[in-house]
Amino acid sequence: MKRIGKPVFFIVFVLIAALAFTSIFGVYGENGDFDVTYIKGIKDIRWGIDINGGVEAVFAPADGIDADETQMEDVKGILDSRLVGQNITDYEVYPDYEHDRITIRFPWKSEEKDYDPDAAIAELASTSELTFKGGTESSGEVLLTGKDVKRAYASYQQTSNSTNSMEYVVGLEFNDEGKEKFKTATSNYVGQQISIWMDDELLSAPNVSKAIDSGSAVITGNFTSASATSLANKINAGALPFKLMVESYGTISPSLGNNALQAMGIAAIIALALICAFMLIMYRLPGFIAFIALIGQLSISIMAVSGYFTIFPSFTMTIPGIAGLILSIGMGVDANIITAERIKDELWTGKTLDGCIRNGTKGSFSAIFDGNVTVIIVAVILILIFGPANILSSLFGVSTTGLIYAFGYTLLVGVISNFIMGVAASRLMLRSISGYKFLRNKRLYGGAKS
Amino acid sequence: MMRQKFHIDFIGKSKIFFCISLGIMLVSLILNIVCLPTLVDIQFTGGTIIKYNYGGEPSHKNIEKIVNETLKGIDTLKNEKVDFSYSENLAASADDTTKHIVSLQFTGNKAVEIEHKQAITDALQKGYPKNSFEEESSTAVDASKGANFFLKCIIAVSMAAVIMILYVAIRFRKIGGLSAGVMAVVALIHDLIIVYFVFVLFRMPLNDNFIAVVLMILGYSLNDTIVIYDRIRENRRKLGPKVTITEIVNNSLNQCFTRTICTSITTIIAIGSVLVVSLIYGISSIISFALPMMIGLISGSYSSVCIAAPLWVMWKNHKDKKTLEKRKGAKSAYASKKSSKKAEKKETSEKTEKKETSEE
Repeated sequence: MKRIGKPVFFIVFVLIAALAFTSIFGVYGENGDFDVTYIKGIKDIRWGIDINGGVEAVFAPADGIDADETQMEDVKGILDSRLVGQNITDYEVYPDYEHDRITIRFPWKSEEKDYDPDAAIAELASTSELTFKGGTESSGEVLLTGKDVKRAYASYQQTSNSTNSMEYVVGLEFNDEGKEKFKTATSNYVGQQISIWMDDELLSAPNVSKAIDSGSAVITGNFTSASATSLANKINAGALPFKLMVESYGTISPSLGNNALQAMGIAAIIALALICAFMLIMYRLPGFIAFIALIGQLSISIMAVSGYFTIFPSFTMTIPGIAGLILSIGMGVDANIITAERIKDELWTGKTLDGCIRNGTKGSFSAIFDGNVTVIIVAVILILIFGPANILSSLFGVSTTGLIYAFGYTLLVGVISNFIMGVAASRLMLRSISGYKFLRNKRLYGGAKS
Repeated sequence: MMRQKFHIDFIGKSKIFFCISLGIMLVSLILNIVCLPTLVDIQFTGGTIIKYNYGGEPSHKNIEKIVNETLKGIDTLKNEKVDFSYSENLAASADDTTKHIVSLQFTGNKAVEIEHKQAITDALQKGYPKNSFEEESSTAVDASKGANFFLKCIIAVSMAAVIMILYVAIRFRKIGGLSAGVMAVVALIHDLIIVYFVFVLFRMPLNDNFIAVVLMILGYSLNDTIVIYDRIRENRRKLGPKVTITEIVNNSLNQCFTRTICTSITTIIAIGSVLVVSLIYGISSIISFALPMMIGLISGSYSSVCIAAPLWVMWKNHKDKKTLEKRKGAKSAYASKKSSKKAEKKETSEKTEKKETSEE
């Protein structure tokens, strides 16, 4: 057997320690006043709404409208900008073109204590069509719509009737077509009222004193800074081509989530300590190495979930994701147990230590390989079916994507890192460390007294 | 000689194992049918659950009255019935405003509209201004979406099963891989049924945690079975074709036994820690996946050793007998034509004998 150098153990050990440390705590720096993330740690992991709390909603066109693909694209785009407008950037949107469904998930906004998810969902689903109508009745002639608006913005200006007080308003800039329409409308309605509507809600009904051709208008009303911004965002996001109804929804409050997170952390530490003790008692030196390899394997899994390098997006971790992680821990420890058992078996036949380690690692490989490959097959199928590829989407639609995908993902990553750590790295370490004279006692490997 | 700590006759005792498994399933099935109907989460059936947390000690009756009166005022929810259930948040201290939890489950399978949900919340907050009713979680699922999800899960699991059988068939072709693959899947079905009954007996509704547990157990049990098959393949190569299949499988099972136990223990440690901590914190969503996962894990290890391998031996022996018979049959046909009638008789009698044994 080709001897593996004694320092190899320490090199692998230090690499795993560095990996574990950075993947758990991340690497952050400061650049002037900005905090810079160099490497993402556990706290950068995006937790699924089942762990950390959040909102999920499935929208469908109301009144049985059969939407086509471009309409659904439009809806998705509008929902995107509405979410950003609500200051939610950490959202997921899954359109399902076959069944005309759109699923939206977003985590709880941690900074907001009295966040009202119901209002947020209702706002997302509203058609939000801006209309200018002749007269003050909702049945009045439609003069302009939100489509004629190039840009809307919140603004602060003096009230028209008094020079001293200020008020919030929403300013509108029309596009060329809108400019023309507005000019005709205002000239037709001189001396009368024009009303401005958001869906069925009357915003204001100003009197037209003269025709306006400046291509801009101002909506007044009892706005606050927040409501003016919200309205401007709505107008900018555009109107939905049809009304959406909320087909299903789920909200989980963050208090539940925070508990779960803390609990999982404690559980992880307890589990690792117990596994370490068990492996040391059962397998001694190989058990110790198996534990180091397990830490390495977990670090890779954490890296894959958090994104590690800032250029990679982080993955959404859900409860099934934790299940996948636990299974991969089981598989990882298993690979080492199979090898350690083999080495024990060999030692009892009375061969030399090196020969036993060689035969033991060689003999155990096919079992580990076949076991892991079959599990990889299961993981890949789950990823294909429940992940973004969604190979069964023509049958079931996209809205069924989600939680299970995390199971396949963490399992796949876990099994691959098991090959790197539980198989390759632990074997390197074992061979290298067995080069030290004081560590060559067969009892350290579970054999009889030599 | 191999170091072998165990000398258990797994194959000889296989009938006991089958009886234990079938017995557990039968008792569970009877309980399932007679007094413990399967609970299915609204994720699959459609429906609505709203949970509120609150402090203080308002009377349950009054809470129910407020909710029911609110529902009466809503046209679409007039005829809905609501099941109330109460629980306590173990992690919260006694004077915490999140100490108590009331769960409202609507019996219809429609999703309650958001504005109506808000009306209920408002009514409760108005009725109990001091108890700080807060919505803890709410789920509303349309019936068609839930059924879709369930079907998709079943298809995913079946696809995985088929591809796995193929993989095992190819990798273990030297020891008759196809039958080995089928028996591995039989063991998986065994585990799936056990996990299902854990959900039924512990009164946990089938939800997507159920799917996660099933998938996890399938992966674990499969790995367990394959490690054993690997040993059988190796022993067959080492010992040659003369040794009986029963002996080889028995030896392999005993050689792998320490590994099977140790791997189960480490995995159970991992899940057990999650379970215990969740119990202390009272996180029901995680308890409902850690508990069945732990029991499923034990079932997964058990089924690999006590179901998949013995079943496969039975199948192998059965097939060997058949080929032996065929050879015998060919020989006798080759012999004198006069004795052909006798041979036929013998064959038929053997066939009936074989049927009897397989029925056992």
